Amino acid sequence: MTRVIRSSSDRLAFGLRAWRSWGASLLVVMALLLLFELGQGWLASRSQAPLFRVIVAGEPLTLDAETHAEFSRDLTALAMETEERLQARMRPWLDERLDSAFAPLESAVPDYLDWYYSPVGSYTRLGVALMGDLDDWLDEQLHRRLVEGTGLESALADLQADYPRRLVSEQQALADEMVATLQARYAPQQVAPEREGERRVHELDLDGVLQEALRDGLDTARWSTAAVGGSGASLLAGRALARRFGASAAAQGSRLALRSLVSRLGAGGMRSLAAGGAASAVAAPAGPGALVVGTVATAVSLAGIAGSEYAMLKVQEALHRPAKQTQLIEAIGETRRALRASLEASASAGAATLTGQVEAQATRAEDDEGMPHAYRILGRRGE
Amino acid sequence: MAGRWQRAAPLWRHAHLILTVLVLLVWSLAGGSLAGVLFLPVWVLATQLIVAGSLEAARLRRRAWLEQYLRDDSPWHGWLRGGAMMVARHQLMGALLALVLLVKLRLLAPVLWPLLLAGVPGLVVAQHLLRRRLARHVIADHLAAVTRRLVVVPAAALLTLLLVVAALWLPQPWLVGLGWEEAIARHFPDSSGGAVLGFFERLATVAEITQHWSMQNAVERFRLATPVAMLGWLLLLLIQSTFAWAYVRLLVGAEALRRGRHRPHREASCTGREEDPS
Repeated sequence: MTRVIRSSSDRLAFGLRAWRSWGASLLVVMALLLLFELGQGWLASRSQAPLFRVIVAGEPLTLDAETHAEFSRDLTALAMETEERLQARMRPWLDERLDSAFAPLESAVPDYLDWYYSPVGSYTRLGVALMGDLDDWLDEQLHRRLVEGTGLESALADLQADYPRRLVSEQQALADEMVATLQARYAPQQVAPEREGERRVHELDLDGVLQEALRDGLDTARWSTAAVGGSGASLLAGRALARRFGASAAAQGSRLALRSLVSRLGAGGMRSLAAGGAASAVAAPAGPGALVVGTVATAVSLAGIAGSEYAMLKVQEALHRPAKQTQLIEAIGETRRALRASLEASASAGAATLTGQVEAQATRAEDDEGMPHAYRILGRRGE
Repeated sequence: MAGRWQRAAPLWRHAHLILTVLVLLVWSLAGGSLAGVLFLPVWVLATQLIVAGSLEAARLRRRAWLEQYLRDDSPWHGWLRGGAMMVARHQLMGALLALVLLVKLRLLAPVLWPLLLAGVPGLVVAQHLLRRRLARHVIADHLAAVTRRLVVVPAAALLTLLLVVAALWLPQPWLVGLGWEEAIARHFPDSSGGAVLGFFERLATVAEITQHWSMQNAVERFRLATPVAMLGWLLLLLIQSTFAWAYVRLLVGAEALRRGRHRPHREASCTGREEDPS
């Protein structure tokens, strides 16, 4: 019995001893931790962390390492916002310029359609369609009546010239704002001047970096603005612009134009047209004379039904004009949006250059000069 | 008691090793702040395990010495058996060793973890083989303890060797042609975990970068012959891989802590017998 009691008390003692050993470990570890904590604190107070001098808004700020890290983070955050803020600043100006460039164009559309559905316009179109190069001719008409008449080309050329200038001034303003923010935030956190005497100082000229970034950004913006038009000369060459309007207005395609004409001419006209075509086709091997005969035959039959034409033209106008007008206005709007998107993309490219350069400076990422990333003891010997 | 262990499922039989390694693995792969919070408990655990193993070995050694030189009836048996002084010394050494191991594990390339994990079954097998060989020669009471004491060196040596061989193929950061300061600045860890843990991590990184920097530059600048370069690298990597010794001691300590606990009877009766004559 005593044996059992002794054994169980021994067991208890052993358990206690085991837990005492854990307690001892805890005690030792805590003591060491405290010691290291104190030692680290002492080391940190004695260590001479390098100072950083940042030139902001023409004024040098001397920051300790911790504040400088914070400064870098802030700078990166501000640089990341650059694009958004630049777009926000550019957008009202760009919209206004585009509005003033495109408004006359939109108001010229009814005039164009008046011409389009006038008997003169209609028959000229028919005649040209019969000659074959209706597409080019319609482009030419669009260009002359819509683009040249409204001064769109010169307005866009002005816009192209003004855009990079405006972009740079806005970027400059943004950069100034950014620098002013940083300056206001970090000027009070400077290190006292007497502490910097014996320490190593890293310098970063933020003003210089920003100027360089802005210059690069301007180059980028110029380059990409020039690329908007597809040619270096102008934002959108006039003919290309007209073709753009034409191509997206479905009824403008020569086949469709021809079909709508033909439907208006009626079955008799159609037959005579076909007959004329057939005659000319048959006569073609015989020489140009036969071609003339065929065309004349067609023209004669057309003239025969011209009397009833005017009324049908008006009917067609009533039917198709609203749709056509919408199409043209939409095409113009589409062009305007595309233009705006590509101009904004060039602004983004400029802003991205700025962001990239500032970030590179903020993180002090040095270029590796093609240095390999990894060193291998073995494994490269076989290469 | 041993029979019960034999019958138990092998996974349960070595659950302490698996648990220990899992704790270390999870902690060393955890994020900086979490690892900082858990640093203290993990350090205490590692210390306790290392101390359990090393105290057992030290007591074994001490007893052998006492029985060799002291008369059976001398009261010194009781005084010198190993008391607070020995415990304190081992606790301190264990804590430092655990710190080295933990910091090294934090910085260890994840590629090397499978080696450490494979070390666990390796250790079990080595222990089993060693125990079979020793069974014919060692007194049954001390067989487990002696096995644990003797398995540390070969297991640690084998693991170190494997780690060195793996490190020979692992890519290192390219430091050739850089100044020392630049090399440090380039590869300085920007993570700031727990205050003390972060400090030791940075310290260990700086030490490692310095070693690699000096060796890489020595090899490339002075165009050392391949055998000399290999010798240097082997020496360097051997020094870097000595944490395997701490790791094996930790595992052996976990074993000692678990198996030792289940024999309070015998130890109590042993000590009782020793104290009785006085």
